[in-house]
Amino acid sequence: MNQPEISTLDRKGASKRGTLSGQSLGLILGVLPLVAFMGVFFFWPLWSVLWSSFEDNFGAFTLKNFEVALGEPYRTAFSNSITLGLISAITSAIPGAIIAYIIESRGSQKLRQFIASISSVLSTTGGVPLAFMFIAAYGAEGSATALLRAFGINIYAGSFTLYSLAGVIFVYSYFMVPTMVIVFSPAVHGIRREWQEAAKNLGATTAQFWRRVGIPLLFPSFISSLLLLFAAAFSAYATARAMTSGSVALVPLMIGNLVDGNVINDQMNLGKALAMGMVIVSLVAMIPYLLIQRRASRWQQ
Amino acid sequence: MRAKRLVALAVAAVSVVSMSVAVAAPSSAATNFCTVTDLKTAGGMDALVAAAKKEGTLNVITLPRDWANYGEAMDLFTKAFGIKIVDDNPDGSSAYELQTIATAPAAKQPDVVDIGVSALNTVTGAGRPSIFAPYKVSTWNHIPNVWKDPAGAWYGDYSGIIALSYDSTVSPAPTKISDLTNPAYKGMVALGGDPTAAQMSFLSVFAAAIAKGGSVTNIQPGLDFFKTLKSNGNFVAVNGNGENYAAGAYKISLSWNFNAPGAIASAKKAGKTLKFVIPTDAVLQGTPYIQAINKKAPHCAAARLWEEFLYSENKGITSAKVTAADKKLSGSKLFAKIMGGQNIFVSGGATPINAPAMIKAKSIIDGPEGLNIPKGAKIVQPNPDQQDAAKKLVVAQWPTL
Repeated sequence: MNQPEISTLDRKGASKRGTLSGQSLGLILGVLPLVAFMGVFFFWPLWSVLWSSFEDNFGAFTLKNFEVALGEPYRTAFSNSITLGLISAITSAIPGAIIAYIIESRGSQKLRQFIASISSVLSTTGGVPLAFMFIAAYGAEGSATALLRAFGINIYAGSFTLYSLAGVIFVYSYFMVPTMVIVFSPAVHGIRREWQEAAKNLGATTAQFWRRVGIPLLFPSFISSLLLLFAAAFSAYATARAMTSGSVALVPLMIGNLVDGNVINDQMNLGKALAMGMVIVSLVAMIPYLLIQRRASRWQQ
Repeated sequence: MRAKRLVALAVAAVSVVSMSVAVAAPSSAATNFCTVTDLKTAGGMDALVAAAKKEGTLNVITLPRDWANYGEAMDLFTKAFGIKIVDDNPDGSSAYELQTIATAPAAKQPDVVDIGVSALNTVTGAGRPSIFAPYKVSTWNHIPNVWKDPAGAWYGDYSGIIALSYDSTVSPAPTKISDLTNPAYKGMVALGGDPTAAQMSFLSVFAAAIAKGGSVTNIQPGLDFFKTLKSNGNFVAVNGNGENYAAGAYKISLSWNFNAPGAIASAKKAGKTLKFVIPTDAVLQGTPYIQAINKKAPHCAAARLWEEFLYSENKGITSAKVTAADKKLSGSKLFAKIMGGQNIFVSGGATPINAPAMIKAKSIIDGPEGLNIPKGAKIVQPNPDQQDAAKKLVVAQWPTL
């Protein structure tokens, strides 16, 4: 409950009796734009996708779209997309969290600001420009490839190729590590030096402090950040499309082809069924977060 | 209260619509250019040109400038008739064109579309409302019957042949599709795009099938061929576009022959030499793209003049040679003086739909050099049904190849 905050906004009214209705009116007026925004940009599109995923091309009810969506190659696409989301979230979240901790605990004010601004720029890089950046740098004739070769490292000696699932994960880390730094820094900031000192005074070792206090405190934030990264990688479209020519089955690319392709036609509603599949995966991904959050809030009170 | 306001709104809307109609109506108030179905009912070329000039604008959609020489076609049309061309989303897809017709506000509606056959099938099937305005161009009889709607709702305009494109540094130079497995081409071969999304790439897989012993009813050898290319490391899954070529991400690709002049010019700007050749083991002719006038076209006369222009077989002058004096000519004289769209497609390397009649009448010009069809080669063209069957295999196999 956020009532204390509201009453500081409206302290004069709070002292009188019967101001609750005034308060809730203010609350409603304040929340209204958000509700309208969510309605127009979230619930309405969600509803229309849900509705037409059960329709055929002539508007009649059908389950056929979901039947097809559960078969191949869409099944592989879901498993690839979930793998891509998980691996790139984990490989970006761990270095991101470590950077955030080092910067927040050891860094000077200036360094913190510098990292924050760099991170916010990098975290918004995406789409085709991001793909092209990596193609130009790490492609077969890229500048970074040439530089590494000058030092005797040939990244193309083995079977590595940028235009694969591994390549896409590599490219995504470019914006996902900075994203992690941004979203995780406030949580690290919340760990007070006093707690660590207090734990030490009571005889705890550093390892014990982290195991008993630090990690349990940061864990919910870490999981929610991880979930954010998972969602970003799971749903990213343009970069993957520019880098794979459809040779890696990914759900967003398949939806794109169904809705806007020149080859497959008349199957837009199958695309919507796949979109509903993505919604369900996202909802399932929320469950561990909600469980952890509930546990965490129990002892945060 | 609410009803009243609605009525007032409706009245206002109606008066706005009728006002804009009044403004758009040509001087010869008798002719409604939105319903004319040929040049005769339009009152002749002079009347059509005059009405189109008055409208002043033509809305086209998804026409890349270096695609089938559309850049020159648009330049010539604008320069000769003084009609501005607005090209919405030049790199967009056929699906985007149809979605725009379905959803865009009146003023943003395209006047004409250029769509793939498979997209056409989604709007002309049984039980679908017609979204095109029928119109038969003057050279209507030259369009082969299979590629036009008897009522004039749609008509094929040009088609391409799948060509090999390669950087001049590639050694040995490939001459056929089956060459592409050569270990010397490791990490060099790309497709123009995703074969499950782009018609050109889909037909590139089809061409590979023809090269490897497949047929119009058997695309499997093409898929197997790309599987080999993928496993031996020759294939890179990068989009075979101009930027990626300039960045050195690939050196060999398959593309429409009619993209050659534009692609060669852009490569030159990037300091590279790009070459095109028709593969000797597969001459695959695509199905033609389809031209149609939108029923909701905001510029009805300009739309019809554009179609007359695209199907004109005149040899005439190009945009660079149009003079101020030419622009003062009467509509019909000016139209007769400029190059027709069919020959503009030829100079871009495409095969115009009227080609058989034009060859007979010797009204066809020479295409760009170096894109000759190999002697004795058999031209293969899968029909729409064969393509649909092949697509199912590609969609099912490509993502997990």
